[in-house]
Amino acid sequence: MNPLESLRLSWRSIRGHKLRSALTTLGIVIGIAAVIAFVTLGASLQAGIIGDISPDDQRNVYGWAADPDTEGGPLAGAQPVVSGDDLETIEGLEDVEAAYGYAPIQSQAVSSGDEQIAQGDGVIATGPSYVREDTLREGRQFEPGEREAVLNPAAAGQFEENVSVGDEITITILGGQQTTAEVVGITDSNEGLSPFEGFESSPRIYVPTDPYYVEQAGAVELGDEGPGGSEGVGNGDGEDAAEADDADQAAQAQADGGDARFIAVIVEAHSADEDDVDAARQAAIDYLESDDSDASEFLGDDLAMTFQTSAELLQQLEDVLELLQNFIVGIAAISLLVGSIGIANIMLVSVTERTREIGIMKAVGAQNRDVLGLFLSEAVILGVIGAILGTALGLVAGYLGAWYIDLPLVYPLEYVALAIAVGVLVGILSGLYPAWRAARTDPIDALRYE
Amino acid sequence: MTETGGGAEASGATAVSLENVRKTYQLGEPVHALDGVSLEVPRGSYTAIMGPSGSGKSTLMNLVGCLDTPTEGAVVVDGADVATLSDRERTTLRGTTVGFVFQTFNLMPRLNAVENVALPQLFQGVGRDERRERARELLERVGLGDRIDHVPNELSGGQRQRVALARALVNDPALVLADEPSGNLDTETEAEVLDLFGEFHDAGTTLVVVTHERHVAERAERIVHLLDGKIERIEELGSAGDPGEPAEPADGGREDR
Ligand SMILES: Nc1ncnc2c1ncn2[C@@H]1O[C@H](COP(=O)(O)OP(=O)(O)OP(=O)(O)O)[C@@H](O)[C@H]1O
Ligand SMILES: [Mg+2]
Repeated sequence: MNPLESLRLSWRSIRGHKLRSALTTLGIVIGIAAVIAFVTLGASLQAGIIGDISPDDQRNVYGWAADPDTEGGPLAGAQPVVSGDDLETIEGLEDVEAAYGYAPIQSQAVSSGDEQIAQGDGVIATGPSYVREDTLREGRQFEPGEREAVLNPAAAGQFEENVSVGDEITITILGGQQTTAEVVGITDSNEGLSPFEGFESSPRIYVPTDPYYVEQAGAVELGDEGPGGSEGVGNGDGEDAAEADDADQAAQAQADGGDARFIAVIVEAHSADEDDVDAARQAAIDYLESDDSDASEFLGDDLAMTFQTSAELLQQLEDVLELLQNFIVGIAAISLLVGSIGIANIMLVSVTERTREIGIMKAVGAQNRDVLGLFLSEAVILGVIGAILGTALGLVAGYLGAWYIDLPLVYPLEYVALAIAVGVLVGILSGLYPAWRAARTDPIDALRYE
Repeated sequence: MTETGGGAEASGATAVSLENVRKTYQLGEPVHALDGVSLEVPRGSYTAIMGPSGSGKSTLMNLVGCLDTPTEGAVVVDGADVATLSDRERTTLRGTTVGFVFQTFNLMPRLNAVENVALPQLFQGVGRDERRERARELLERVGLGDRIDHVPNELSGGQRQRVALARALVNDPALVLADEPSGNLDTETEAEVLDLFGEFHDAGTTLVVVTHERHVAERAERIVHLLDGKIERIEELGSAGDPGEPAEPADGGREDR
C-alpha cells in the first residue's frame, strides 16, 4: 500500500478519537516544548553573555590573588595584596598598556543638590581607562587623583533632575563621611563594564581609586566591613572569608606603609591579539611574583595571582550554565520517554479495540506490512504532531523567557529539526510493538473477535 | 463434480477442490465443524450450499476463502494448496482471486460505503480516483447509489449486506463466496442481488453461495447439502438461473434445521 494512503487512513482513525489522541500527544508536546524552551533560553543566555564582551574588553586581563585551590567565579577567595606602587610598575612594563586597581566603594547614599538617594553599591573606584572612551555618551574619562566621577545613565537618571556633566555629587561612604565628585562623563550603557561588576543593568558611579579608594582604605573608621564586600564584586564562594580578612589586612597595609592594596586589578594589553594578551598577563604575573613587588610578601603557596580574560571567566559561567541546561534537558527527555510510553499504551489499546477491523482488512487482502504501516504511521503522526506542537510551544516559551530576562533571542534551529526527528523516532519506537502485534493478528480470529 | 476423490482431475477446470477436509476445534471435547468433506467446484460454476445452522457452512466458506486452514485434508484454490501457501501468498489470493461476502457483513465501521467498497483495491495499490469510480459504480449496481457517503451505522441491514457484496466484487474476483447474501433482503432487492450474481456467473465468475432459502439455492447449478460437518448429498439442478423442478419435493420452501 502506498505510504500516503496509510497516512490518510491513520489520520482518520486519529481524528476518530480526538480527545484520546490529544491527551496522548500531550506527553510528547510537553517533553519537546521543555527541551526547545530550555535550549533556546540557554542559547540566548550564551549569546547575551558573549555579546557583552565588547572587542575592547578582550584585551583586558582581570587579576586577583587567591588560594590556588579555590573554586568559583571571578574574585572567589580574593585577598588584597597588590599595592598602588605595584600597579604603577606594571603599567610601566613593555607589554602592558595600562594597569589599575578595581575596588567597590562601600557607600550609603549619593546626593545631587538637595536630593539624596540611598545607594549601597555601584560606586566603583578604578582606573580611568576602565570606562573606555567610546562608551562615553557625554564628557570624558575621569582623571586619576581628581575628585571626578563618570556615571552610567541609570545613576544619572535616578535623581529627579537628571545629573549631567559639570554637576557635583556627594557620596556618603559607609563610615558616614561625605566626599564630593564632579561629574565629568556619562556612559552609554547601564550594563556592567567588566566581569568584576557582573553584566546586569544597575546604577553605577565610576571614580578614580586615588583619592576615593585610598581614602577609604586608609580610614580608621572602616567598621566591620572590608572594602571588598559588595555584591557587585564577587560571585564566588569564600567571599565571606575574604571580607573578614580584608579589614585586617587593609588595616595592616595601612599600618605597614599606608599604601592601599587592591583585591582586584585590571591589566590592559596593547591589543586584543592573543599573543599580546598573554604577554601582558605573563609580564604582570612575573613582576608580582618577583621579590621587587609589594605583593610578593603575601604571595606564596597559599596565595597566587590569577589573571583571566573575560572570555575565560565567562567560560566558567558557561560551563555551569551548560551543566544546568543538560540537567533540565535530561528531565525533559524523561518526560519524552513518558510520552512515548503513553503513545505505546494507546496504540496497544487501539490495536485491541480494532482487532475486528484488522481482521476485515486482512480478509480483503491487506498484507502484514500494510497493517504494520497503518499502525506505525498512526504512532508516527501522533509523535510528529506532538513534536510540532511542542516545538511551537517551546519556541514561544523560549521567546517569552528571553524577553522576560531581557536577552537577545537566539533560536537554535538545528534543535527544531532535531525535535521533529525525535517525534518521528518516538512514534516509530512506541508504535513498533503495537503495530507488530496488529500485523500478525490472525484474520479468522480477528473476525470472530467481539 | 463428484462427491469424492476428484483431486486428480484437470486443475485447469477446477476452481476449488477439497479433499477429505476436516476442521476440528478442541474445546474440552473436540468439535468437528467439518468432518471429511471432499468437493470439486469447477471453474465458472454456480454452487449453493444448504444445511441447518451449525452444520459447518461458514467453516467451509472460510477454508475456501483462504481465511482458515484445515486441520486435515487439502483445500486447493486456483491450483494452490492453501495450507502450503505462505501468509503473504494466502493474503494475495484473498485480495485478488476471492471475493467474500460475510454472514456478518464485516464492514469497517468508520469508513463510508464507497470507502468500504474500495478497501480491497486500496491494498492492491489502485489509485484513489479509480477506486472511488469503481466503488461508486458497484454501489449503483447494488442499488445504493444514493447511500455512498453513509457509514455502516447509518445503513439498514440489507443495505450493509449490499455494501459487503459490492466490496466482494470490486476486484473482479474469479471466485465469489457469499455467506447468506440475501438473508436480510426483501424479495425485490433479493431478486436484484441474485440477478447480479447471475450476471457475474454469466461473465465466468465461479460462485459459491450459502443460503437457507430454497428459491435462492435454486438459482445455482447444484446444491450441496451439509449436515453435521459432512456432505449429506449433492443435488444437481438443470441450469443456472432456472428454478427447474425441485429434486427433493419434501425439501421445498425454506430449509430450517
Ligand atoms: N471458533 C470456533 N470454535 C469452536 N467451535 C466452532 C468455532 N467456529 C465454529 N465452531 C463450531 O463449528 C460448527 C459449525 O459452525 P459454522 O459457523 O460453520 O456453522 P454454519 O453452518 O455456518 O451455521 P449458521 O447457519 O448458523 O451460520 C458449530 O457447531 C460451531 O459451534
Ligand atoms: Mg454460518
